[in-house]
Amino acid sequence: MTTSIWLRSLRFIAIVACGLAFLLPIWWMLVTALRPRGEAFRYLSLSVWSFLPNNPTFANFIAVVQGPFGRAVVNTAVVSLATVVVGLAVCSMAAFALAAMEFRGRAIVFAIVVVSFLVPFDAIVVPLAQIMRSGSLQNSYTALVLPAIGNGMVVFLLRQFFLGIPKEVREAAMIDGLGWFGIFARIYLPLSTNALISAAIVLFINQWQSYLWPLLVAPAAGYKMIAVAIAEMSALQTVKYEQVFAAAFITSLVPLLVLWIALRFFGASIATTGSKE
Amino acid sequence: MTKRGWVSAAAFLLPATGAILALRLWPAAIAVVQSLLAPHATTFSFDNYTYLLNDPTFQGSIVTTALYSLLVNPIQIALALALAVLLNTRLPTSGFWRTAILLPVAIPQSVSAVVWGVAMRPDGIINGFFAALGLPQQPLLSSPQQALACLLVIVSWIGIGFWMTFLVAGLQEIPKSFYEAARVDGANAWQQFWYVTLPQLRRQLAFVLVADTVGNFLVFAPVQILTRGGPRHTTNLVMFEIYTRAFQTNDVSSAQAATVILTAIVLVVVIIQFRLMGSGSRE
Repeated sequence: MTTSIWLRSLRFIAIVACGLAFLLPIWWMLVTALRPRGEAFRYLSLSVWSFLPNNPTFANFIAVVQGPFGRAVVNTAVVSLATVVVGLAVCSMAAFALAAMEFRGRAIVFAIVVVSFLVPFDAIVVPLAQIMRSGSLQNSYTALVLPAIGNGMVVFLLRQFFLGIPKEVREAAMIDGLGWFGIFARIYLPLSTNALISAAIVLFINQWQSYLWPLLVAPAAGYKMIAVAIAEMSALQTVKYEQVFAAAFITSLVPLLVLWIALRFFGASIATTGSKE
Repeated sequence: MTKRGWVSAAAFLLPATGAILALRLWPAAIAVVQSLLAPHATTFSFDNYTYLLNDPTFQGSIVTTALYSLLVNPIQIALALALAVLLNTRLPTSGFWRTAILLPVAIPQSVSAVVWGVAMRPDGIINGFFAALGLPQQPLLSSPQQALACLLVIVSWIGIGFWMTFLVAGLQEIPKSFYEAARVDGANAWQQFWYVTLPQLRRQLAFVLVADTVGNFLVFAPVQILTRGGPRHTTNLVMFEIYTRAFQTNDVSSAQAATVILTAIVLVVVIIQFRLMGSGSRE
């Protein structure tokens, strides 16, 4: 059995090495964010101090939060939360109708939903940005939130989940006098918390990460999203790298925590139910 | 169904289908219409398409995107599969490391681009690694030979863990008895992978192949932030080409034509890949 132990140890070492390789850039981001001003490029000939903060300081974090980047964090939080709340309501209602109600044209509506997620959002930003401009919606929360709420993938996933709820449940509820909305809100939603949470995570992370769309429709400082703000910080003539990394770390931390907590509570299935658009 | 029932179904559906129709399908329709109207023209024609397809910059961008896709998709899927097989084990902490490899997908692409961009500077930490290995300094993002490969590394760091997660889920669904049967028949580890694992993973692989291919057609943030399509147009992927046309050179008509071509390519790829993999189901 000694060979088996050797093989297992070897496999374990390979696993740890791969894991560390993927974590290293995130760790390096944090370490650089903690360096005093002007030290981002000091430790480039590799040593222990390339990946450990020598004189750690939170000054960079404080500086970026107080600057325009702080406003971008607030904008992104507002837009992402609004997207989750409105998007979940809108998508779960449509999913409910497609799963539980029988009506003429259901197949057509379902086909529209499927086609909509076969056309990637990024591919149609040029015409959509034109529509927003002609409606004078550029530089508004509305322009940022609206395109994200009708998410065909989320409708599709929730419908699949709702289909698993037996017909008898809603028939019994109808006999008890519940209307469609009552069945939806008091039976289907409470039975689907896990599916709703994974849908919320998909909507939240997609919006938190969005870059191209905010770049096109919300360039004004008052509506700037963090993904855009950070790219602009790094492109400045007088770029302060330690501050860019502090901003990068703040920007990454929220979705990282959301994903991490979701995985701890619900397991890997939560990550695979959603899909990047 | 009664009339009232139809009304309540419509009430449930209207917000979502309204948003999808108005903000997803209507723009696609507008793109088609505007792509058929040449600048200052009043009648429909294919002028924008002829102009676009004869434009060397656009041709170059299509070639670059094709080359990039042919490299990035097989590499990412092969690595994701290798990692999935490696990490599909009950060894202690393997669950933690699976999560660790998945984490980069949560980070906004623009942040990953900025951070890797600093690491890939001529005086950056990557060249620090090269120096420690005794290798000469590399130009990386500023070199026409290396820039596309650099983007490939960045997007792979972001995406591989995500695709791996789907494949691990698939691996865990394969019944242990299949492997036992294969061992009884004298199959070695490689044969077990080839004759049990791969066929059983077909559905997940199909999904990953399609979703990864589509995602890679749409790569934008790293290009726009790090290379702006250069050096010498070597990283001018089609999304950046469309963006440049529409918002830098203000040639909206040809940008719409390019949008239509991109969307058509994406749809065709999705359909072909599902046919080839013999599976119409999405995970």
